[in-house]
Amino acid sequence: MKNSRDNWSSKIGVILAVAGSAVGLGNFLRFPVQAATNGGGAFIIPYLIAFILLGIPLSWMEWTFGRYAGMHGHGTAPGAFHQIFKKPWAKYLGSLGLLPPLFISFYYIFVQSWILAFTYYSITGKLMEVVKADKITEFFNDYIMLNTKIGPIPAAIIFFLITFACNTALLSFGVRKGIERANKIAMPILLIMGIILVIRVLTIDGIGEGLAYMWNPDFSELTNPQVWLAAAGQVFFTMSLGMGIILCYASYLKPKEDIVLSSLTAGATNGFAEIILGGTIVIPIAIIMMSNSNIEEIAKLGTFGLGFQAMPHVFGQLPLGNIIQTLWFGMLFFAGLTSAVSIIQPLVSFCEDDLAFSRPKAISTISLITFIGGFISIFGLAAGAVDELDFWGGSFLLVLLGTIQAFIFAFVLARQKSETNPNENKAFALLNEGAAIKLPRFFRPIILYVCPTYLAVLLVSWLATSGIDVLLLTNVKPDEMVTFLGFELSKITFTWGIRIFLIVITILLNLAIAFAWNSKKAKNGRKSKIKKVEIGNA
Amino acid sequence: MEFSNSGILFMIGTWAAILLLNTFCFFKVLTKKEEKK
Repeated sequence: MKNSRDNWSSKIGVILAVAGSAVGLGNFLRFPVQAATNGGGAFIIPYLIAFILLGIPLSWMEWTFGRYAGMHGHGTAPGAFHQIFKKPWAKYLGSLGLLPPLFISFYYIFVQSWILAFTYYSITGKLMEVVKADKITEFFNDYIMLNTKIGPIPAAIIFFLITFACNTALLSFGVRKGIERANKIAMPILLIMGIILVIRVLTIDGIGEGLAYMWNPDFSELTNPQVWLAAAGQVFFTMSLGMGIILCYASYLKPKEDIVLSSLTAGATNGFAEIILGGTIVIPIAIIMMSNSNIEEIAKLGTFGLGFQAMPHVFGQLPLGNIIQTLWFGMLFFAGLTSAVSIIQPLVSFCEDDLAFSRPKAISTISLITFIGGFISIFGLAAGAVDELDFWGGSFLLVLLGTIQAFIFAFVLARQKSETNPNENKAFALLNEGAAIKLPRFFRPIILYVCPTYLAVLLVSWLATSGIDVLLLTNVKPDEMVTFLGFELSKITFTWGIRIFLIVITILLNLAIAFAWNSKKAKNGRKSKIKKVEIGNA
Repeated sequence: MEFSNSGILFMIGTWAAILLLNTFCFFKVLTKKEEKK
């Protein structure tokens, strides 16, 4: 069938793809810092509670939305919401499911290219030389600020172009031959590299002291609401929730394919990478190898400082440090690659399914847009462009979309009757269809009431505690100046410039959605390669 | 800082929980035959 929708070839393929999307820098760098600064071992209690009450239920919801969208030939939230509400405005609400991957793609590929570069420098031994000369901070800063050059061209731009080409090539093979195959190779390698690093860290003399910072529980922290908020936020961000990615991947499921077990397995794999690998590697070794350091100082380094400066430095002090550095960046490279393709795929899916683009045309269009966005990050990094893009794409919109999805599932889809099963509502009929393990009954009230409430509280609390300051720019000094493309301007002006750019992108996206539906290209969606089978309430 | 007994307990307990969940999930996934479409 010409230009028909792709499907995953196996259950393990889609599980590894969803897990590959979720496993990223956050597992190895964000989680350990969050845990160590929020009660150590005691952090695990609110973390696991959030995993059960928020992470797993919302993940099941997104898989269900994806199945529903895929049944109607769509792969993104505009198509899913259109089918659920059958109202003209619903598809525009669905644009919220395309904005996070779009905004994140503007900076993620650039960050991904740093990992590729540092993997290369580890293999060639350059990174070891820099560490021995105690110049890792200068080396990293020179690299990201485009001062390190290969010939006349900044190395950061060369590695960005290579990374961009790799992602595009991978996506051009499609879901089954590109994304699924890549995840089946990359995920096992990533996990093996992580396990080797864990074994190496655990065999360092005196590692108990480092593990103590990570795991000794401080129960007094459990009375602090910020700790609970941090745990819920970590679960939310680590599982790729509210990004439209799980929805998109689930839309490529075969009819009557299991959702309940697959979602749980992907979540468990992510948990393994986060708690066992992420929780063991970074903080313990940083504590014992970095002189005069404590957990507050390590946390101050931030994700990039920790990953690209502190870790190469401490690994460089170990015997065979060169190899350990390569394993570290190799692991991050595979984590970044599988996450990057998952970020771009919803955008490609929208072009293919709703705008009826061919795959080459869809890839070219999205590549052009993300390429332009990428250059804003490259040249606006020092001015704070990445922070601003991350606030909207990687924080605010995720929680907003997650909350909206939870309410739609609980109060719209779960109140529609299944057409084939009169004793079941549409939401749970879709979720349980073909399930290898049926959804336990006690999870129903969690999904219908606890999860939406949890998310609403998380959204409001996050806005009240930190989000509102960033939204209103009250955290920026009025006289703070930045330089962008040779022009000196106030940081507030620059930030509003980025916001206007994002608003324009949002308007253009909604115009594309309007065009897709008005031209009837999106109304019936795209046909699947496999014969349509009636599911629950198709 | 010394690695306390409660710290060891939390680490081992959490690892065990995660490994058990992964074992259960992957056992179920890999032992259930894929339906022929």
